[in-house]
Amino acid sequence: MPDICFYFQVHQPYRLRRYRVFDIGTGTTYFDDRANRDILRRVADKCYIPTTRLLSEAIRRSGGRFRIAMSLSGVVLDQLEADAPDALASFQELVATGGVELLGETFHHSLSALRDPEEFRAQVRLHGAALERHFGRRPTVFRNTELIYDDAIAPMVAGLGFSAMLVEGADHVLGWRSPNFVYESASAPGLRLLPRNYRITDDVGFRFSNRDWDGWPLTADRWADWIARAAEPSVHVFMDYETFGEHQWAETGIFDFLERLPAALAARNIACVHPSTLVMRRPAGTLSFPTATSWADVERDTSAWLGNRMQRAAFDRLYRLGAQVKALGDQWRLEAWRRLTTSDHCYYMCTKWFADGDVHKYFNPHASPYDAFVAFMNALTDLERSCAADRPGSPWVVDGEMAVAG
Amino acid sequence: MRVLMFGWEFPPFQAGGLATATLGLVKGLLNQGIEVTLVVPFSLSAASEVPNLRLVSAADPRPGLRSIRVDSPLAPYAGAEEYRVLAEQGSGGTRGGAVYGADLFAEVERYAAIAERIAREEPHDLIDTHDWITFEAGRRARAVSGKPLVAHIHATEYDRCGGPGDPEIHRREALGMQLADRVVSNSHMLKRQVVERYAIPAGKIDVVHFGIEVPEEVAPLDDVPVTRGRPTVLFLGRVTRQKGPEYFLNVARRVADHVPDVEFILAGTGDLLPGMIERAVELELAERMHFAGAVKGDEVDRLYRAADVCVMPSVSEPLGLVALESLRNGTPCIIPKTAGVAEVLRHAMRVDYWDVDDMADKVIGLLAHPQLWEELSDGGLDEVRDERLGLDQAARRTGQAYAAATRHQTP
Repeated sequence: MPDICFYFQVHQPYRLRRYRVFDIGTGTTYFDDRANRDILRRVADKCYIPTTRLLSEAIRRSGGRFRIAMSLSGVVLDQLEADAPDALASFQELVATGGVELLGETFHHSLSALRDPEEFRAQVRLHGAALERHFGRRPTVFRNTELIYDDAIAPMVAGLGFSAMLVEGADHVLGWRSPNFVYESASAPGLRLLPRNYRITDDVGFRFSNRDWDGWPLTADRWADWIARAAEPSVHVFMDYETFGEHQWAETGIFDFLERLPAALAARNIACVHPSTLVMRRPAGTLSFPTATSWADVERDTSAWLGNRMQRAAFDRLYRLGAQVKALGDQWRLEAWRRLTTSDHCYYMCTKWFADGDVHKYFNPHASPYDAFVAFMNALTDLERSCAADRPGSPWVVDGEMAVAG
Repeated sequence: MRVLMFGWEFPPFQAGGLATATLGLVKGLLNQGIEVTLVVPFSLSAASEVPNLRLVSAADPRPGLRSIRVDSPLAPYAGAEEYRVLAEQGSGGTRGGAVYGADLFAEVERYAAIAERIAREEPHDLIDTHDWITFEAGRRARAVSGKPLVAHIHATEYDRCGGPGDPEIHRREALGMQLADRVVSNSHMLKRQVVERYAIPAGKIDVVHFGIEVPEEVAPLDDVPVTRGRPTVLFLGRVTRQKGPEYFLNVARRVADHVPDVEFILAGTGDLLPGMIERAVELELAERMHFAGAVKGDEVDRLYRAADVCVMPSVSEPLGLVALESLRNGTPCIIPKTAGVAEVLRHAMRVDYWDVDDMADKVIGLLAHPQLWEELSDGGLDEVRDERLGLDQAARRTGQAYAAATRHQTP
């Protein structure tokens, strides 16, 4: 029987408000505090709290045999702490069961690995400190934003002390090879790669509620049967935590599915393993990723964030400002800049309309990719000017507390 | 099938809108193998201004088309009130050279009488009409031939007036659509309105979004010297309440505060034009707001190309061909959320027509960020070339409406 490795991603960005050209220089916030609070509350109630209770219970009931890995971006941790402390507490309880391995990532859920190694390392360290503070844990396995990975990223991650990294089991990289093994990075020997099995994952993540799908309705037993069929050592199921209750609403039966899953797996002798356990296994071979791969859209590349001219222009301009923001030594403006590095802002500017358009609409605060671009560039212009003029003490950021403190 | 169509020829002093839509429809129908006898009101005085204007050129004869011109001052957008004003102004009116002597309804009646005669003489299998002015002609033609009747609705009196408008026109619109065997609306938004305000059953209405013709090659045109080398923002349309020209001026004021060398062109005529000129002066925009007046032929495309952004702040816009024309020339367009084209167009920025700040923000964004501009320009051009918005899909779906009208003809 194969083992199964679950990993869930928890993240919510600081969405921009419709920041207009007329707002530049007025000292108003870039971020839509109210909408962000409302969305966080809604997701906490519909997903985070019920899912976390359910998982805690499952881990306890199984005596620790049911186990999962997860990561929470720093920006969602900050938001939970400020606006949904009850949800944060439920995550802390979940981690305290001992059945959860926390993974490292960039604090701001950014694309910095693709552009700015120094910033990347800084954000990873920030995230590690946040996990220490909220959960008393230090991660040893890494997952980059949206599973973005290429050969240039591996040495940076290995250099930060991580032993393994999650990657997308993309067909164009794996070729004939199966995602159900542990591999070694071609560019950072010693760094293990765990490829996601996107087919079996998408049965739950995407297809679960699709009535046109011949697998519908999917039961825990049926899905466990499919896993049991794998002849290889370990099946890696990585998905958004928001799958439970948000991408798939409670009415679809997703919570029943999740509740019955531990027993269904146990009945088939499928063991749950943590990523750090898999690291100890002998790699089946090396994998080289010459170009950046991600878990997004059908292309499994970075085109969801950097596919069109607007996205690349916004991205370039943002990272050009980095050194200047840091030189100011003003933590509030640095934090504002870092919140703009969150990948979601670029995602909202995506113009791939057809196959994946719907996914891009998830909590997208902008009416169109063009609106997203204009708001982002306006905010960036303001930040640039404020850095150039070094106007201190402006409430660039964010929530009231920070604004007052600044 | 041969269709007897009471439509509109490309009008000499109007850009966009109804006439362009019918022209495109006829071309598409001919491509579908549907023959058309097109009956168009045609003002002799206007003809003298544009001597060479013809629907089909001699070099490109279209065997399926027969065109009949009826000498009549009827114009596609005339409302009763506007018509009376124009009649009083005579040849000095804002429509430029048109001669109106009689009451609008009398003119409609005269046209309908001629239509009756034409219906007797011209063989046809179906009658198609376009907006209220031609509805009476269609009714009379059907009384003669007994063939199925289709009513195209492009805009209602409500759209034109921003309120109930003229009760007699409303009555004629309602009657025309009730009598028709099939109604074709150019957007879902307009269909809803026709159902709600005119009590036409939804099941009888087909929605056909009109496309426009996009030439394979973009022909070079002269530029517009006044704005050469400067960022330019365009409004093109009738200068009437429906099209929201006053919002354009307010947007211009906002934009000018942030983009020092920006120029504006307001093209078109209408009853609000004098007021708009005064308002531009009040807003201290006189030096950079250029009133192009009525534009025709090449001038229309030259203006689109001279512009970096086209703004359409229409209060009501059942379709909004200006957006398609703008994109055809590679000029990004800002459109109202409620416009009919917003139902199909992806590469356009959407706004609330009253949200001056939002429109100004988007105009400035387009002028400031070449990447945004290119995405919308290239994407928009691809999109108007796409068959989803092409003439052929509009004609195909109109053909289906014709077939439905034939099947469900009311006895």
